[in-house]
Amino acid sequence: MDTLTNFINGTITLFGDPLGIFIFFGGVIGGMLFGAIPGVSMLTLAAILLPFTAHLSPEHGIMLFSVIYCTGVYGGAITAILFNIPGAPENAPTAFDGYPMTQKGQAGKAVGAAVTCSAIGGTVSAVIMMIATAPIASWAISAFGPPEIFALVFFGLAVASSVGARTFWKGWLSILLGLLIAVVGLDPVGGIERWDFGMPYLLAGIHFIPTILGFFAVSEVFVQVEKKAKGSYDAPKVSVDFPSLAELFAQKIAVIRSIVIGFFCGILPGIGATLAAFMGYNEAVRWSKDRKAFGTGKLEGVVSSETANNAATGAAMIPLLALGLPGGALTAMMVGVFQMHDMEPGPLVFLNSADLVWVVFSAMFFANLSILLIGFLETKTIINLLRIPFQFLAPLILLLATVGAYAVRGLPIDIVVMFIAGIVGFFLRRSGYSVAGIVLGLILGKIGEQTFAQAMQMLHFEWSGFFSRPIAITLIIAGMLTLLNSIYSAFFKKST
Amino acid sequence: MRNLRLAHVIEAGAWLSLALLLFISSFDFSQEIEIYKFGASAWPRAILLLIAVAAVGQLFGQWLRGEGQGSEMLDKASDDGAALAAQLSDHNNPKWLAWTFLLMTIPFVYMNLPGMTGEWLSLDKSGLHQAKLLTAAVLITIFLLAIRGNHIGGMLTLPLLFGAFIQDFGFYFTAPFFILGTMYLMGERHWKNMIMVGALIMGILLALFVSLLYVGLPTGNISPFYEFGTTVVNLLQ
Repeated sequence: MDTLTNFINGTITLFGDPLGIFIFFGGVIGGMLFGAIPGVSMLTLAAILLPFTAHLSPEHGIMLFSVIYCTGVYGGAITAILFNIPGAPENAPTAFDGYPMTQKGQAGKAVGAAVTCSAIGGTVSAVIMMIATAPIASWAISAFGPPEIFALVFFGLAVASSVGARTFWKGWLSILLGLLIAVVGLDPVGGIERWDFGMPYLLAGIHFIPTILGFFAVSEVFVQVEKKAKGSYDAPKVSVDFPSLAELFAQKIAVIRSIVIGFFCGILPGIGATLAAFMGYNEAVRWSKDRKAFGTGKLEGVVSSETANNAATGAAMIPLLALGLPGGALTAMMVGVFQMHDMEPGPLVFLNSADLVWVVFSAMFFANLSILLIGFLETKTIINLLRIPFQFLAPLILLLATVGAYAVRGLPIDIVVMFIAGIVGFFLRRSGYSVAGIVLGLILGKIGEQTFAQAMQMLHFEWSGFFSRPIAITLIIAGMLTLLNSIYSAFFKKST
Repeated sequence: MRNLRLAHVIEAGAWLSLALLLFISSFDFSQEIEIYKFGASAWPRAILLLIAVAAVGQLFGQWLRGEGQGSEMLDKASDDGAALAAQLSDHNNPKWLAWTFLLMTIPFVYMNLPGMTGEWLSLDKSGLHQAKLLTAAVLITIFLLAIRGNHIGGMLTLPLLFGAFIQDFGFYFTAPFFILGTMYLMGERHWKNMIMVGALIMGILLALFVSLLYVGLPTGNISPFYEFGTTVVNLLQ
């Protein structure tokens, strides 16, 4: 009952404020557009907007990002289906069957299924998130001290390292690079200068906003420049015969299965929507009696992938809001929004800023529902926008990122740092490293070192103290097992 | 050598060198803290140790199995097309990489050379500005000559050059050239389209950030670019 009351209050707060409504719909449309346009992604939009959230209230800032997250995950499905170009990695499996459907003249049916299933997956996930997050947070307040938070950071990084990059080693090196960047500046205990190389700029550490902008927005433009040098695409003819209710109802098992898969992938730090979509698709193939039909234009392929990736969005908010730990790149940026408002995400947010939490929950619920309404209407607009050549979009993206990097502190050096991060990200991505892993390492590095220092002081520098804390030791053992399994797979297991 | 290639050895060497150099420099801050016996260097050194272990592990894995060390599903999930694009455009060869990295030093030359020259020759403010103008003109000429046949290298360097120039020449003067340069390096050759789109992009940015949000973008330090920047700001605000 409390949940319903809170939800209604959150909805009233959200839609009772004209600025809130404007930001909500801006986020819905922006997320869909950036999710759909090849060469940019919802992460590009989020990175560009991140510095400007300092001018918004915390409620509006976090709400904007959560809405972009929901609709951005859906947006990439349109280009995956119509052009075989997934807007984001989480839409890649959608293209496996979506594009063959387009070639068979069933593009409308595939887009319709993607719209409907994204909305269903996301909405169900949002409802579970509303019910589950508060109890987890209230338990976490008493159960989670610095040793447990450090252990959870370790577990999250161990999982993230296994899935973010081309190989386990590259994933691990990406995260370690992020942790290394986080070390630059003053140490969190004694305030001793580390790796500042005599440059006053580095004393405050490498600011995460120019770094995030560089790794996501700028490196993406560079990658597209290189892709553009070798490829092009033709716009296909688009039909508008959306799937019938009977056709959608026939997919109910695939939808339920993908919601479960997507939700569990989303709740684990570091896995997120991308692996959810791949696992949803893989399971659909494994459970099917007609496996050979997958990849040739089977509706179930689109349904499974799109339901699973949107189901991961609500789940990913649980570790962020209940425990203060981001599971992926976009939730890591949300930590940035909290930090810019001198707040820390985590269980205390429920006590100190319950309004914020429920506005975000309501916004995510309605953002997923709005995919159903706006998604159908916006598809045609997006198709027309896709005709804008990338050489005209690229300078706009780079200049928006420039303004964003400069606006945070008014330092021109931040612009240079951003472009250096973009170049580093470009070279690392083409070698199979994960920029999301670097950013996760950068954000979690500071939390990790601080909680490690607090934990060791609390445990009187006795490592065995971790064994007296069941949650901490369980998480550490789980992290170690994940790492050992990844190392074993990297050396000895055959590719599957 | 089994499945090992030269690129794998260079990659591992780069990680190990980074770890070693930073480990050596960590002695600069290797101090004990009264309330924290591990001191300021324990955490960074642990990260460096793990980097070394991961680099060696990666090299061993590549020796054992080549690049295919993960599952097909994870490989697909992490693939954003960047590696394939690099492979197709043949931008992984040492010559291209060396040339591109050399090209990318141009902005850093601008950021350091005029200041060093000014200090050496004891130049006053106006002398320093003239040194900066001269250095910028020479470096732009070198840049334009060097990017012929290496547009990707040019595309990587142009934003850095823009970032290096922005403090002295201002956003309002440099941004239009940056827009046109980006479009040109990305293959656009219709000057009419470039000017129209460039004007539209500048219009959007100025209206949104300068007129509406009052974001104070860099106006530059050197005359007459500084006067140009402030005039634009005064007109828009």
